[in-house]
Amino acid sequence: MHHHAPRRRRKAVALAAFGGLGLITAAQAGTPASAASTDTNPIGVVCTTDTANPGHATFNLETSSGYINLPDGNTAYMYGYNVAGQDFQHPGPVLCVTEGDEVTVTLTNTLRRDTSIIFPGQENVQADGQAAQPQISSTTNEITSLTDVAAADGGTVTYTFTADHAGTFIYESGTDPDIQVHMGLFGALIVRPTAAPSASDRLRAYDGSADSEFLTKNEFMVLLSEIDPYLNQSIENGDNKGTLTQGTKFNLSNFHPRYWLVNGRGFPDSIADNGASWLPAQPYGALARVKPNELALTHYLNVGTEDFPFHPHANNGTIVGRDGHPVTDGSGADASYEAFVINIGPGQTYDVQFSWHDAEDYDPQTNPVPVTVPQVANQVFGVFYSGSPYLGVVGDQPPGNQTLNQCGEYYIISHNHALYQITSWGVNMTGPITYMRIDPDTPAPGTTCP
Amino acid sequence: MEPIQPNAGIMSRRQLLRYGGMAAVTAAAAGSGMKLLRPAAAGPVTLRAAQGSDTATRAPDVFLGGTDGWMYLPPDPPVGIFHPDNLAPTGLTTYIFGFRNITDLTATQRQAQKNHAQHQAPLFWVKESIPGDPSTDFVVDITNLGLAQRPDLFDAHTLHWHGFRNAIPFFDGEPTGSVSVPAGTVFRYVYRPYDPGTYMYHCHVEDVEHVHMGMNGIVFVRPRQDGNTAFYDSGKYLYNDGDGSTGYDREYVMFLSEVWAESHWADAHIQLPEWSDYRADFALLNGRVYPDTILPGAPFPSTMPDGVTPFDAGTWADTVPYLPAQTDASGDLVAAGSDDRLRYQPISSLVECNRGERLAFRFANLGFREAAMTITGGLSMRVVGRDATPMRGRVAGGARTGIDTSYTTDTINIGPGQSYDVIVEVPEDQPEGTYMLYNRSFKRSDNQSSDDVGGQATEIRVSAGDVPAQILPNT
Repeated sequence: MHHHAPRRRRKAVALAAFGGLGLITAAQAGTPASAASTDTNPIGVVCTTDTANPGHATFNLETSSGYINLPDGNTAYMYGYNVAGQDFQHPGPVLCVTEGDEVTVTLTNTLRRDTSIIFPGQENVQADGQAAQPQISSTTNEITSLTDVAAADGGTVTYTFTADHAGTFIYESGTDPDIQVHMGLFGALIVRPTAAPSASDRLRAYDGSADSEFLTKNEFMVLLSEIDPYLNQSIENGDNKGTLTQGTKFNLSNFHPRYWLVNGRGFPDSIADNGASWLPAQPYGALARVKPNELALTHYLNVGTEDFPFHPHANNGTIVGRDGHPVTDGSGADASYEAFVINIGPGQTYDVQFSWHDAEDYDPQTNPVPVTVPQVANQVFGVFYSGSPYLGVVGDQPPGNQTLNQCGEYYIISHNHALYQITSWGVNMTGPITYMRIDPDTPAPGTTCP
Repeated sequence: MEPIQPNAGIMSRRQLLRYGGMAAVTAAAAGSGMKLLRPAAAGPVTLRAAQGSDTATRAPDVFLGGTDGWMYLPPDPPVGIFHPDNLAPTGLTTYIFGFRNITDLTATQRQAQKNHAQHQAPLFWVKESIPGDPSTDFVVDITNLGLAQRPDLFDAHTLHWHGFRNAIPFFDGEPTGSVSVPAGTVFRYVYRPYDPGTYMYHCHVEDVEHVHMGMNGIVFVRPRQDGNTAFYDSGKYLYNDGDGSTGYDREYVMFLSEVWAESHWADAHIQLPEWSDYRADFALLNGRVYPDTILPGAPFPSTMPDGVTPFDAGTWADTVPYLPAQTDASGDLVAAGSDDRLRYQPISSLVECNRGERLAFRFANLGFREAAMTITGGLSMRVVGRDATPMRGRVAGGARTGIDTSYTTDTINIGPGQSYDVIVEVPEDQPEGTYMLYNRSFKRSDNQSSDDVGGQATEIRVSAGDVPAQILPNT
C-alpha cells in the first residue's frame, strides 16, 4: 500500500465547503466539464480508450465526489471514478479495450476513506506488481477490502491485468462496497474480441462462430443502479464534518432504494444526449437510436443489489453474451436466446443483439393499417407520437398539442418491469426507462431527422 | 334437436359443477322447443374470426372493457387499515382496475360492466398468423368504461401485448410513443402473431399503477403445428417443434401477480402510495390465492351468440379464442356455485390429470417480484420455451432450429415480465394423489399468515385414468 502525503484537489475542497448548496458545476471546479472520452457521439456508448500503444491500455483514474440530478428535482451526493484531472462523473468512464491488451489502471484516491477497484471476471489482477489480494485487518483478522486499496487522501494503487477474453464487465469498489458501490464507485469495462467483423462498419461482441455482430454506430449501454438517499446523506454529513464515522452510522440492513437509475440518470434525463449540458456530472444517455433492420447491441449491467428485469418493447433481443462470456455450448454452438425481459441479477452483465423492423411493412398508400384510425378527439396522444401510425409520416395533432416528434420517427420504450422501480421517491414513470428511437429512411415531408 | 354432447367420458367433480348450470338451461330450452346447441362440426371448422372478411370492420375476436371493480382476498389477518378495504362491497375486500371480456354482451350490458372488472384479466389465445392471409388477423377492441370508484380519474387505457415482436407503436399500447384510449371510446388493435408461445398483456397507461391494480393477464399463441398428430397423439403443442417435444395433453396458464394492500386501498381512497415502499402482501396465482386457487372457475355459458358450445371439443377451442364465462341478464359475471366471493376472479388453477399424461404450464409473471415456482412429488418441469421463444439455439440465417437448450428442473425463477413454457410429464407409475405447485419464496406462498399454505400455490391431482380429456385451458 502506498501512503502519499495528503493531496486534496481543489474540487474536493469546494465540494466539502459548498456541499449543502447542491450541484457543484465544473465551472466552480475550474476544469472542463466534458466526459473523459475519446468519443464524442451524442448517442450510444462513449468509450474511453487508450490506443497510443497497441497491446497496452493505460487509464489513470481518480475518485471524486460530486452531485447528480434526480428526476424528482433532488440531488444526491455521490462518489465516482473519473479520468485523472477531469471532473467528477457518474457512473465511471466506460473503459473499452481489446482482447489480449495488458490493461493498467492507476487509481488516485481523493476521498477521505480508503478505496479500490475490483475487476470481476478478470484473471490474475495485479496490484502494484503483486497478486491483488483481499486486505485483512491485523487487529480484527477480518477482511477490510476485497482487494488492495488506494489509501485515503491521495493514496494510489496500480492494477494490471491481461484482458484475455471478450465480454462486458463491471468494475467497482472492493472496499466497503455496500457503501462505496451504492455511492457510485462503479463503471463498465468492455473487452472487444480480436476476431474481425464481417464488414468495416461493424463490431462484434465475441469471438467464435456465433453471430454477435452489430453496427458500430448502434452500440448502447443500460447500466442499472439504485440509491437510498439516506445513505448518501449520511456519508455526506460524515465527509463534511470530518468524522467519517458519521457515514457508518447508517444501518445498511435498512438500505431501501428510493431511486433507480439507468446510466446514472432517471427518465426523462435518461434519453438526453451524452454530455447534455444540464447534466454536467452524468455524461451517459441511454437512448437507442436506429433505423429499421439495422443490427444493434446493448450492454446491460446491474451494479445494484436487486434484480432489474428490463423489458424492451416490441423487440425481442437475442442474448448473445452473459457475464462476460458468449452464450454458446461447450462446442461453441450458438445457444443464444431471445427474450422480451432481460432479468439482470446483481453484478450480472448481458449483451443483447437486436434489430427492429415493422413486421407488416405498413405504408399509408400501399399497405395501410387494417383499422379505421379513430378521430383525433378519440385518441390520447403521447408526447412522442407523430400523429400517424406510419414511420416517416407526420399526422395531425390535437389542437394545442405539442409533440416532441421531429420527422415521423418512432419511439418504442424499454423499461424495468419491477414497476415500483420506475419511480423516483414519489414521482412515477421515471427511473430506469429509456426509448429506442427508430428513424425513417426518409424523413416526413418538410421535416428533418437531426 | 341435437342433445348436448359434452365430452364423452367421465366428468370430473368440477366439470359436473360447471355442467350443472347448463343442464338447467338445456332442459328449459328443450321444453320450449328452442333451437339449441349445434353438435361438434365435422372436418375443418371455420375460424370465427373469419366471419367477416374486412379486418377493419368485422366483429372483433375479443372485445375488452377496461374499468374498476372489487375482488376477494382472505380478510384475516388484516393488513393495517388497508385490508380488507372498508369501502369494499359485502364479501369483497380489494379495489382493482381490470379488464372484462365483453365480446358477447349487448351494448347495454357492456356499459353495465363499469365497476365489474375481473382479475386476472380475461384469458385469450391466438392462432399463429399466416403471412399474407388477412383471415388470420387477430382483432382486439378495447373500450374504456371509466372508473366508478374514482370518477375524478379520467385515465385512458391501452392494450400492451407484452413481448409482441416488431410491433409498430400504434399497436403497442405504450402511451407516450403512441396513443391511448379515453373513456367512452373504442380502439381496435390488430395482431398478426408469427411466434408461438406465452405472452402477457396489460394496460400501459400509468403502468406502475394500472398494472399493479390488476389490468393484466395472459395471451398465448398456438403454433401452426397444432392438429398434426404425427408428432404427439393429442395434436396439441406449445411450439412448432417438428418432433413432438412440446406436445401436451392438458394446458394451464399460471399467471403470477401481486397485491400490495396499501396501494389498492390508496386508489380506492383517493390517495397516492409511495411506490418505493412496495411490498407483495398477497401473491396471486391466476388472480386468486391458495386454497381459492383450486376452486372451480366461472361456470361456462350454455351457448354463445353464434351457436357454438364450449363443450364441443374441436369446435369451441378452435373457433372461440377465449375462456368463456357465464353472465347474468345484466352481463355481469356469475359465481361458481353458491360461493360469490370469487365472482370477479374467474380462473381456476386446479390441475387434474391422469398418469402418463403431459401437462403444459404457461407461466407469466406480472408481479413486481421474482417468483420461484416449485413442483413437488418427484414431478419435474422441462423448460421448452422462455419469453415465447423455443429452447433451441440459432442457426445461420437466424432460425431457431439449432441445439436443444431445453432443461429439466423442479423450480423456475420467473422475473417480472418473463414467461416460461414448461412440460410436466407425469410418469406412468406416479402414485395417485395430490401434489403441489407453489412459490418457494415462502412469503409469497402464504396469506400473510404463518401457519397455512396460501398465495401462489395450487394442487396437481394425479389419477389412475378417470379424468376426461381437457377441452379448454385451466379446466
